[in-house]
Amino acid sequence: MAARGDPLPFAPLAWACAALAGGVLLHLDRVPPWAALTCLGLITWRLTLARRGRWLPGGIARALLALGMAGVVLVRFHTLNGLAAGTTLLLLMAALKLLETRQVRDEAVLVGAAFFLLLAACLDRQQLARAPLYLAQGWLCCAALAVLAAPALSVRRALLLAARALLFAAPLALAMFLFFPRMPGSFWAIPRGNVARTGLSDSMTPGGIQQLAVDYDVAFRARFDAAPPPVPALYWRGPVLHDFDGRTWRRADALRPGVPLVFLGTPQRYRVALEPTQRPYWFALDTPAHSPAASVTLTADYQLLSSEPVTEPVAYEAVSYLQTRAGAPLGAGARRQDLALPSGPNPRARALAQELRARAGTDAAFASAALDYLRRGGFSYTLDPQPLGADAVDDLLFRTREGFCGHYASAYVTLMRAAGVPARVVTGYLGGEWNPIGRYFEVRQADAHAWAEVWLEGRGWTRIDPTAVVAPERLTRGMMQLMPQAYPASERLLHGAAWLTVLLQRWDAANAWWSEHVVKFDYSSQLDLLARLGFRTPDASYLGWGFTAALLAWLAFIALGNARLSRSHGDALARAYLRLCRKLARVGPARLPHQGPLAYCESVLAVRPDLRATLEALSQRYAQLRYGPAAGEPRGVAEFVRAVRALRLAA
Amino acid sequence: MAAWPTVAPGRLRPRPLAALRARLAARTAAWVRRRQGEDALPVDLERRRLYILPTRGGVAFGALVFVMLMAGLNYTNALALFLAFLLAAFGLVVMQQCHRNLLGVSVLDLEAPPVFAGEPGALRVTLGAAAEARPRLEAGLEGPPAACADVGAAGRAVLLLPLAACARGVHALPRVRIATAFPFGLFRAWTWVHVRRERLVYPAPRGRRPPPAAAAPLGGVRAASTAALDEWRGLRPFRHGDSPRQVDWKAYARGAPLLVKEYQPLGSERTWFDFAALAPLGEELRLEQLARWIVDAEAAAATYGLRLPRTEVPGARGPAHRERCLAALARFGTGERP
Repeated sequence: MAARGDPLPFAPLAWACAALAGGVLLHLDRVPPWAALTCLGLITWRLTLARRGRWLPGGIARALLALGMAGVVLVRFHTLNGLAAGTTLLLLMAALKLLETRQVRDEAVLVGAAFFLLLAACLDRQQLARAPLYLAQGWLCCAALAVLAAPALSVRRALLLAARALLFAAPLALAMFLFFPRMPGSFWAIPRGNVARTGLSDSMTPGGIQQLAVDYDVAFRARFDAAPPPVPALYWRGPVLHDFDGRTWRRADALRPGVPLVFLGTPQRYRVALEPTQRPYWFALDTPAHSPAASVTLTADYQLLSSEPVTEPVAYEAVSYLQTRAGAPLGAGARRQDLALPSGPNPRARALAQELRARAGTDAAFASAALDYLRRGGFSYTLDPQPLGADAVDDLLFRTREGFCGHYASAYVTLMRAAGVPARVVTGYLGGEWNPIGRYFEVRQADAHAWAEVWLEGRGWTRIDPTAVVAPERLTRGMMQLMPQAYPASERLLHGAAWLTVLLQRWDAANAWWSEHVVKFDYSSQLDLLARLGFRTPDASYLGWGFTAALLAWLAFIALGNARLSRSHGDALARAYLRLCRKLARVGPARLPHQGPLAYCESVLAVRPDLRATLEALSQRYAQLRYGPAAGEPRGVAEFVRAVRALRLAA
Repeated sequence: MAAWPTVAPGRLRPRPLAALRARLAARTAAWVRRRQGEDALPVDLERRRLYILPTRGGVAFGALVFVMLMAGLNYTNALALFLAFLLAAFGLVVMQQCHRNLLGVSVLDLEAPPVFAGEPGALRVTLGAAAEARPRLEAGLEGPPAACADVGAAGRAVLLLPLAACARGVHALPRVRIATAFPFGLFRAWTWVHVRRERLVYPAPRGRRPPPAAAAPLGGVRAASTAALDEWRGLRPFRHGDSPRQVDWKAYARGAPLLVKEYQPLGSERTWFDFAALAPLGEELRLEQLARWIVDAEAAAATYGLRLPRTEVPGARGPAHRERCLAALARFGTGERP
């Protein structure tokens, strides 16, 4: 079952392997390590085989291997559909194809697989930082195609050829990108991996393991139309948590009808560019006035909830008010929901709440008394608190007295509810880093925050941030300044120097531009573009025209290139001789069609005997170059061309 | 031609499409011939005569780009779309570059040296490039390209196409395809070159009959010719004492030095290979026997002459003479005089 011999030349095989390896590297952190290792291992093995000319496994072995690999993928991913499983399968099958690569066609299949891996990478991630990688991979694949077609090409030549073709293609590609009409919606949906990345989840367990704060990825960027509010006022509202089991806060399964709000003050208008989170939450400044998109609902607790998880960057315009007042009393259902507290756990906290409430006259006074308790009780802010026991709130309030926003929000809301004041936990982000280059706020996962909302009669839902009394500096300074030791050394280093900060801000601004103008370039962006080009009523038909115009312009460019070629491909020697004839015709007789070079020379000399030395030499040189044994010799031709150009004839 | 020319060994059923395809190919060939007309060498390959189509790999590449486009449109994924557009534009650029690689190439010469029947012959195609180098130019006959060469700037290259010689005679050269898939192999541009040239196929040197003896009487032909007629032998420089009547005055008038025509008496010390003397054999067998004798006589450095029913090659020796005799055999019965 072994096929002998390896008739393929090495270079094309090596290029095909390189293209495939490039494709694997693009997915290195996305596919299971065993798959990537298998693929890279097979590539190495195949190249070694090609060098030594040893056997390849036979058909049955290959079929078994293929089935086995598909089986393993099926077991690991529970599907063969979907981006991650599909990519892994493609990668493994391409690696198997290596084992039966005997013809140029098989190598072409490998390069095709490399192109598909590139496509999968584009579908998977679209960050600016990855764009150069994608470009390099495309370049490598094209160069591999060139070597498959002409195995003798050197590495340099193949890369140059591919670069040249891609450069020529770039303007047309850009025009197509701008003008090719996009379709709203999609034909079919690909199941994506539902691995939640960082970001806010729909539950919160103070005292559990927390990793949120050390993640320095951008969650979203926000640009205000007018002057932005001060940083401590930037409470970005995310999931609102109602249900508490004594340890974990969760979103409500069934939300009670909410209270209509009366918006006060000036509206804040801003644009949010949200990075993918794989979760359905959109974020808005407290409190959003309406939903920014049809697929997003504004829930009764004023959270923006999308019908689909955010799998790709989205951008939206939102309007928020920083001050609101309840337009109606709290409904009985909602009151019951936001007062619910398990009767078992946290007995001391409940006793404390009742004691404080009894001392305070009103709900509002009780709310500030509870805050005072946190402010004066010797509580400290840390990202690395001790773990809490079963009575998490009691543990925090009376034993550990340390924690971060989640701990304090949880404890505060528990106190409120225990004393009969409706309250809920709101998670989201606080603040953001001002980017002076892009003029927007970068809100990072590290800015995640949790606070409380308390129902006060006459005022409605009131935001109270217990963390603000424990660690007031949290409101004005980012987490990085507050808790540098919680970050990895690399991040600290990056944010240490001022010039590095500027550099990072520039980079983030470039990323923001990329996200907004390239990744999100869609039908509406096309219409914007048309409007900017001066079309009054932009619609899809103009896109077609733009597309056609761009194509025609490019074809004209090609035709021009061809015309230049046909002018220049006519032999340089003949052109130089014709030029000589034109020069001579100005001082003597014109060449007759039947006259050869020497005959014409004689007829000119009959009129201008003074030119004998020059003309005879030139004519003889031409005759030699044209008809002699060294005809067309490039150096001679070049010399002749120079001599003719330098020739000056006095009338 | 066999009745089942398309049935490959090991394949039991004739392909029903093959006949149709062959007819289509023949019609296309006729159309191309009508369209381009006959070529006079050297041929500069200009735009009107170049054809271009995607190769199999090119079609696959197109399908790949289409899938990318669909994926990009479906997920409104800008990067996938840009990739699809970049590769589509790349395809167009490659098409133009491929066309350009063939445009302006000159076919300087097409010739097929004479061969013996049954020998593997070759067609020599000489390609030349002007100012720009032309890598990977292919040449071939009807089938896939048989030879490939790089032609440097202002250079030339000779490509040898195998052209088997099956039957004795004078054969018109087949049309020749000059093609290129450079760069990237996604497209192949090609043209057909039709020249009115022929190739001689000598009869295969076969047969066991002993050659006629040098002194053998020359039979009826000898009687028919006048005894006084001497045989042309060649030219030699003039020496004092030579008769002025023997000087080649025509050559002198063309500017050559004084030369003297030498004759030798007919029938002296040489062999006549006579078609008629091989009477009992069939025509082709006789020609093959004559070829055998000619080849052997030339190898033995003998002087020999050839006598065919309507042609006679007087006795001489040397490669040129051998070619002349063999050519006469090749042309025998084709209605042409040597």
